[in-house]
Amino acid sequence: MDLYRRSDQTSPKSSPRGSRSPAIPRQDSTGTLKTTIALGKNPAIIQKGPFYLMKEPPDEAKLTGNTNLLSYHGLEHSYNKFCGKKIKEELNAFLPNLPGNIDAPGIQDNSSLRSLIEKPPITGKELIPLSGSALAGFRLHPGPLPEQYRLMHQMPPKKHKHKKKRKEETKEGPLQENQDNASEASVEQKTKHKKQKRSDEEREKRKKKKEKKKKKQKHSPEHPGPSTEGSSKIT
Amino acid sequence: MWGTVTWDKMSDRFEALEQQLEHFIENTRQLGITVSDFQPQGQNVLNQKLHTMVTGMQEIDKLKNQVQDVQVPLEVFDYIDQGKNPQLYTKDCMEKALMRNEAVKGKIDAYKKFKGLLMLELYKVFPNEMNKYRAMRDERPS
Repeated sequence: MDLYRRSDQTSPKSSPRGSRSPAIPRQDSTGTLKTTIALGKNPAIIQKGPFYLMKEPPDEAKLTGNTNLLSYHGLEHSYNKFCGKKIKEELNAFLPNLPGNIDAPGIQDNSSLRSLIEKPPITGKELIPLSGSALAGFRLHPGPLPEQYRLMHQMPPKKHKHKKKRKEETKEGPLQENQDNASEASVEQKTKHKKQKRSDEEREKRKKKKEKKKKKQKHSPEHPGPSTEGSSKIT
Repeated sequence: MWGTVTWDKMSDRFEALEQQLEHFIENTRQLGITVSDFQPQGQNVLNQKLHTMVTGMQEIDKLKNQVQDVQVPLEVFDYIDQGKNPQLYTKDCMEKALMRNEAVKGKIDAYKKFKGLLMLELYKVFPNEMNKYRAMRDERPS
């Protein structure tokens, strides 16, 4: 291998990368030849570069991928918190106090945050309380809402503990509204809550059945598989 | 100390906004219940709740200045729009960071091994040149 080349062979024109377009910014390769010009009492030109294309290696970076960056930035506790435990996937688990079914995709009811960013609403206008004439537009006809709008008040299925709390709340809520001369609405609210509870109970029953199915499949893989919903025939 | 003070301030302003939003949502929910089966005697209650809604919006608007500097990654919005827990985004970020950290560490280790093996083989074939190279590298101040 010919390590000692002539100087013209080391010029940029005859560089092996000379066919590249000069428009592409390249790392400065001048100074590839290691030569030292010593001045002073004994001036001399010392060839220090017997190796072609030998360059100074870059300075070692202080922080590389060799380090555990999570512990370097003090994120071990956060990592164990988020990745060590199982996090529930539903949005309802993060915001349990919000009413309605928030686990549904936002695109379905046009409530997505993305649409809020892509088409921001008009802001900057002053918020003024409604005047008497403006409130006149909110005079409603008595009676129940049509079926299509009633679903907006359905709560997602919750645990028994929450149900007990809701019972207490529904008892307190109607009492307060009675003080505000809305006794009929409170009775109807109770019936609505009862209906919601029935539907919630049905949903919970179905969930329990599904869990039982899964357990059966896990414990006995030779089992013929799910046939009926939770019922086992005794022959 | 400085970190604790700023964290407390941040949590306070978030808590105030959170409370305000919860009150607003609760008022809206009650408004929905009132409207779902409206009775004439509920008109005053309805008007009151509408008024509360407007004042609630005014309060939330006042709080927006306190959170102007908060930056939220847009990818979290995709998780929320899909009905997923946003903590899953944090979890995914952490896992990705660890994976990439391990991948880069693997590359560094592989390159180190390669360098060692290359030096070894070059020493076998070009011992004199490698000694010169080694001398030049050792002369360079670290």
